[in-house]
Amino acid sequence: MGLWTLLKSGLVLDIYFFKNNRAQLVSMFAWPYILLALMLGMGFLFGSAETFKSNVGVEADPVVFFIASTLVAMASMSVMWEVGGTVLYHRWIGTLPYVLIAPYRTSITLVMSYVPRYLLWSFMQLAEFIPVLVWREGLVGGLTDTLVMGLAIVVGMLPLLGFAAIFSALLLTIKEETNILGWLNPIILILSGAFYPAYLFPAWARLLSMLLPTTYTFELARLSSLLGAPKLAEMTFLIAVLFGMSFLYNALSFTLMGKAESRALRSGAV
Amino acid sequence: MWVKVKAIIWLHTLRLWRYGMSFINMILSQVLWILLFIMGVLLFVPPEHLTIALRMAYWTIAAWSVISSFSSLVGGWTSFFILMGMVEEHLLRNTSPFTTIIGRVLTGTTVSFAIIIAMGYAFSWIFGRVLMTVEKPALMLSAFTFLIVESLSYALSISATSMRTSISEQFLEILNFGIIGLLIVPISALPGYARLVYLAIPYVAPTYMIKVAVGGEVPSLIWEAALISVVESIIMALIALRLIRSVEDHVRRNGVRAVGFW
Repeated sequence: MGLWTLLKSGLVLDIYFFKNNRAQLVSMFAWPYILLALMLGMGFLFGSAETFKSNVGVEADPVVFFIASTLVAMASMSVMWEVGGTVLYHRWIGTLPYVLIAPYRTSITLVMSYVPRYLLWSFMQLAEFIPVLVWREGLVGGLTDTLVMGLAIVVGMLPLLGFAAIFSALLLTIKEETNILGWLNPIILILSGAFYPAYLFPAWARLLSMLLPTTYTFELARLSSLLGAPKLAEMTFLIAVLFGMSFLYNALSFTLMGKAESRALRSGAV
Repeated sequence: MWVKVKAIIWLHTLRLWRYGMSFINMILSQVLWILLFIMGVLLFVPPEHLTIALRMAYWTIAAWSVISSFSSLVGGWTSFFILMGMVEEHLLRNTSPFTTIIGRVLTGTTVSFAIIIAMGYAFSWIFGRVLMTVEKPALMLSAFTFLIVESLSYALSISATSMRTSISEQFLEILNFGIIGLLIVPISALPGYARLVYLAIPYVAPTYMIKVAVGGEVPSLIWEAALISVVESIIMALIALRLIRSVEDHVRRNGVRAVGFW
């Protein structure tokens, strides 16, 4: 079984999932718009775009700002649940032992079979926002924003996969998995500055946010919301940080997952 | 009858106790998700309007929390109940499976009010504003009662339907989430002729009563809202009862179609 087979299995699984579960497909398209509409609706009901710009401290379009935030939030939630939570799913349906004895390491199986889903879902959600981006920024501006957000989705995925695999390793060794994933996801999003920029946090929270790869993905995607062309130097810096974190988190997950697998097998936890 | 009621109360209390970690997790994660959302909204709010914006958002989300908890904890639990083969077990013992499902009102009430209280304390502490003061407690109590009746009726209606045909999970999630947007709209922002139409949307009238009870809305339509709440609660409860009877009758003759939610 090659790596391509793992990727292909993930892709085929998703295509059939969409084919057989239309309601899920509709909900996948509806969720980001509902979230965005609620956030902007409540925001404009209680305040204004001028207050938003003054609070954020930069000249940014609130609509594009929250489109970028919503996209990355949906993507990172999906990674945490789909990679981290897959261990739980396999345990429930009784396939975890097969995943553990497969020719590849569990972390590789979980990550590689998930990559097509991440790319497919994220780019479909990005595509549904293109009309709004073009409406806000014009054709060239809208397409530039789409490219910046697409870049953030792809580059941001690399460290996030390792990060989520570390939680998979944790879930292999502990009980009450859903109870941990349930609150871990919103905490990570809050600390990453999902809807409230991390640079506005107090110092202790800023320090924690600097350790999370999602912080930089949000910042990278939100560069598209700045009025005028996105700054190239800032983009390059954020991409470099994300590459560095990819190396760190993926190396760490590779080591931890091996230990967690051995421990789970030894203790009969699976 | 009393023995059955006692057994159902005992069952749900015991489950609540045994799933203690899930209970705490549910409250914690719900408060965190709402905090995440509120932080984004607050970016738009000027400092002088922060208290009123937070109070309105808090009480609207409190109302939504009841609606959402009842849908997922009463309606959503039906899938588990069907999968465990409990519908047939109850029918064989000449007990309506819905009496057990209705017992989830205990779980729904405990979870939703625990979330409201935890959220109130957490937000008051984080944002340094007092959010939990109520000007008219009796009005607040009656508004929450109407919300519980309406939410429970909706949950039972989709529970009953899910025993005959598959129901999309979106009826538990998306519709509930989308309804926050409807509930948050202040009645004063609408033109006069649209206000009664707006109040007639399920859940809106009791939520308006909650906003009046905390002094966040003008009480000009309070009697109309109370009347609409009573009528809607009765209609929704009757629809749920009718559906339950018809589904029970169908299931006794044809068996359970174990589909549920997906």
